[in-house]
Amino acid sequence: MTDGGSDWSGKIGEVVLGATAADGGTRKVSYRVGGDDDLPFLGGCTSGHRPLVAYEICDDPGLWPQIVRDYCGDLVNDPASWSKAAEREYGADLIRLSLTSTRRRGFSDFAALGKTVHDVLHATGLPLIIEGSNDPQIDSEVFQQCGEAGQGERLLLGTAEAGRYRSVAAAALAYGHGVIAQSPIDINLAKQLNILLKEIGVPLDRVVIDPYTGALGYGFEYSYSVMERIRYSALKGDQDLQVPMISAASDSLNIKEVREAEPAIRDEMAVRWEFYAALPAIVAGAAIVVVRHPGTVKALRDAVEKMWPGEVTANAAQGA
Amino acid sequence: MPVVTFLPGYRKATVSEGGTILEAAQKAGLQMNVVCGGQGKCGKCIVQVKSGRFSFDSEKFGRVFSPEEIASGFCLACQATVGGDVHVIVPESSLIQEQKILIEGLGIETEFNPSIWKYYLELTPPTLEDPSPDLTRLLWAIQKKGGPVAEKIYAPLEVLQSAPRVLRDSGWRVTATVALVPGGYRLIDLEKGDTSKNLYGAAVDLGTTTIVVYLRSLVDGKVVGVASNYNRQISCGEDILSRVNYAKKHGLEPLQELAAESINQAITTAANNASIDRDDIYEVVVAGNTIMTHILMGIDPAYMIEEPYVPVVRRYLTTSGARVGLEVDRDAGVFIFPAVSDFIGGDIVADILSCGMAEQEEITLMVDIGTNFEVVLGNKEWMFSCAGAAGPALEGGEVLFGMRANPGAIERVSIDPATLTPSYETINHEKPRGITGSGLIDILAELLRACVIDRTGRINTSIENRRIRTGQYFPEYVVAWKGETAIGKDIVITENDIKNLIMSKASVLGACITLMNQAGITREQIDGIAFSGAFGNYINKENAIMIGLIPEVPIERIRNIGNGAVAGANIALINRKKRKVLDEIARNIAYVELNAESSFMDEYTRAAFLPHTDLGLFPKVEKFLDECRLRSREHP
Repeated sequence: MTDGGSDWSGKIGEVVLGATAADGGTRKVSYRVGGDDDLPFLGGCTSGHRPLVAYEICDDPGLWPQIVRDYCGDLVNDPASWSKAAEREYGADLIRLSLTSTRRRGFSDFAALGKTVHDVLHATGLPLIIEGSNDPQIDSEVFQQCGEAGQGERLLLGTAEAGRYRSVAAAALAYGHGVIAQSPIDINLAKQLNILLKEIGVPLDRVVIDPYTGALGYGFEYSYSVMERIRYSALKGDQDLQVPMISAASDSLNIKEVREAEPAIRDEMAVRWEFYAALPAIVAGAAIVVVRHPGTVKALRDAVEKMWPGEVTANAAQGA
Repeated sequence: MPVVTFLPGYRKATVSEGGTILEAAQKAGLQMNVVCGGQGKCGKCIVQVKSGRFSFDSEKFGRVFSPEEIASGFCLACQATVGGDVHVIVPESSLIQEQKILIEGLGIETEFNPSIWKYYLELTPPTLEDPSPDLTRLLWAIQKKGGPVAEKIYAPLEVLQSAPRVLRDSGWRVTATVALVPGGYRLIDLEKGDTSKNLYGAAVDLGTTTIVVYLRSLVDGKVVGVASNYNRQISCGEDILSRVNYAKKHGLEPLQELAAESINQAITTAANNASIDRDDIYEVVVAGNTIMTHILMGIDPAYMIEEPYVPVVRRYLTTSGARVGLEVDRDAGVFIFPAVSDFIGGDIVADILSCGMAEQEEITLMVDIGTNFEVVLGNKEWMFSCAGAAGPALEGGEVLFGMRANPGAIERVSIDPATLTPSYETINHEKPRGITGSGLIDILAELLRACVIDRTGRINTSIENRRIRTGQYFPEYVVAWKGETAIGKDIVITENDIKNLIMSKASVLGACITLMNQAGITREQIDGIAFSGAFGNYINKENAIMIGLIPEVPIERIRNIGNGAVAGANIALINRKKRKVLDEIARNIAYVELNAESSFMDEYTRAAFLPHTDLGLFPKVEKFLDECRLRSREHP
């Protein structure tokens, strides 16, 4: 292995998340993710940016893990306050807002989505990721609402998939946001989706790959190996894969080991399960990890700070 | 421009006025004898002009002709110029008499080296002074006629039993048939009188669906008849698996008999058309897939359809016509092409023989596409093969309006990128009934060019055009409106059809690339791609590359070898030397089991994109598509 310098011909591109006042937004901070020219933690301190921990909230807690609802209490009914807590209490780097309301059958209250996004952006100064609908029938309207509500804030909109990427991409292009490109744990499908996005005009410096992450013990090792392969290919020069990755082992809190844990250790179990999927994901090359239990945020940030050889705060691209 | 028609074959060629008959002959593919190179000196290229205006300086070049010959149109082809349409007789003696036989549809030649001969013999009857036995007399006469040395010819009992009668009844004028069989020469027949011209052989493609038979004279190698018919085993199951299962239940015998009957039926048709007696067919060469040839030879194929897929035999096999129920001379030799594996049969070995792969330095990629596909990559030093299921989409199956290449099938399509209006051709110019494989490939390529579909084949439904709409289940593109068709329905291609086509093409391309990786070669190192089978005859090569059915190589490196199986059988029939190399070819081909090859799934996924996930593998297509995208953005 190389010492600090690397022999790789490729480099991960950088994606900017969030826009501060200098960029015409209202975020207190913006981040650059990506930029690595080596494998994670191998000389990465000189080139890449510190991995970020996103805390995920939702707008319809009925579709959220019970353990989070129990832990967060009333907050879950108010995305704005919840996001404020994520920033000030849990210590998240950024927020991911999952619009679970759109998953309800017959959903049609599109205006409410715009308002939620607006409220959350008002409540927190952190950059925002939005996870929208996954139904082609309503995608266009949903992403249009989110995109417009977040105009100028450089959001990260998700999720584009090979079968439905046009609506997300259109909103991202129209309102200046980034796109999460999710493929089912396959390096080739990840690459294909990036090509599709590129061809309808989304530049790759606005794309973040979500290689899809299974929960630890429920397929996580496939995700790990695909993230590794994507990183290797990117470093070897495959331009279509030279984008940062986001990893969200979203099923972690729904698995039997967490659900059926003794009440006394349930939260600890939840945090550990999330933690031990997110940390290896970072080791495999994820630039952003997403968790749902507030306790996991601090644990991860502490771990990253210990592992990360450089100045941890220097990664925020203030004024970028 | 004047048209020159050559008799007796009625081959035609056009030359400019004042062009020579020799030029025309060369254009028409006639190999004229031109020893002096066309200077009018050697007098070998004699032709006779039967009608039409021509000029020939008989004073200068006419010395080889008599005044009568000059008067009746004789001249030298290299010096005679045409002044209008002419009819020209080419005497046999003016053609190059190399014993080379053109294999139809192939454009390749092979030497004429039959393995069976007939000798017409006029024997001196025995006397008290010359009391040597009948057989000795017979064999000596064969040797004297230029046949094999007498001691080396084995005479089987059946022939000996009939010999004394035949010899004496015929007044000692007989025709002896000698065959070169494994083990040496064998006297296989003795007939009264001169039947030396009645010597034929059959080249057979024993397909799962179709049987094709070529009858050839083994005196001069020429084709005398061709016939084809369905494999009658279809009554025991359409596909090969169900046939083997049928055999498991009902025994092998009915299937063996049906195979023989199917061949007999085709041979009979061809023989009747050529007015040939089937008993004058002394040799049958059969190329077929491994299961078909096992069945014909009465060998149980049951173990080939279950793991670990082992055939009983893969070397070439010989037997006699009577033993497998072929209605030809009872002692006729039957030669069965060797196989490589369970899935790469004698038909593929025949393909390889006919595309020349095993005899060239150049690297050939041979692709045989049907419901199943076979791919062979290599040259004379090494060969890799694999086989897999392509699914029926490329043959029009699993596609809403897909159909086989029957009349009314849309076989060629181009689409105006601005208006998205297609223009199409159908088989026999009938009103369209459906779309055949080549038409589907065209549509895919054209929709890609017009930016109607993305690289995963999804239709961009936001394009405003009445041909793009959402059907009952999937988005679709209308190829032909109800009123244009013969079926009273709009003919469409749906997103689901496109998905199936992409999966089919991905298995073929994925297999090609897997073999290329095994061999460690790049697409630039492929000197030629050969399409075998009917499929290759109709597809637009450029579009096949555009969608990524095969690796991108320059178009001129792609060729169709047509029915390579029957072509290979023809070569082996008339050139026994080629038979010797077949076992070696079969042994030299390494078989790659795609199911066991972990990289294949990866390659398949990479290939399930138009044309491929690694765009660098298709640089020309990429450049072209970039331009298409630019155009479509300018004129949305």
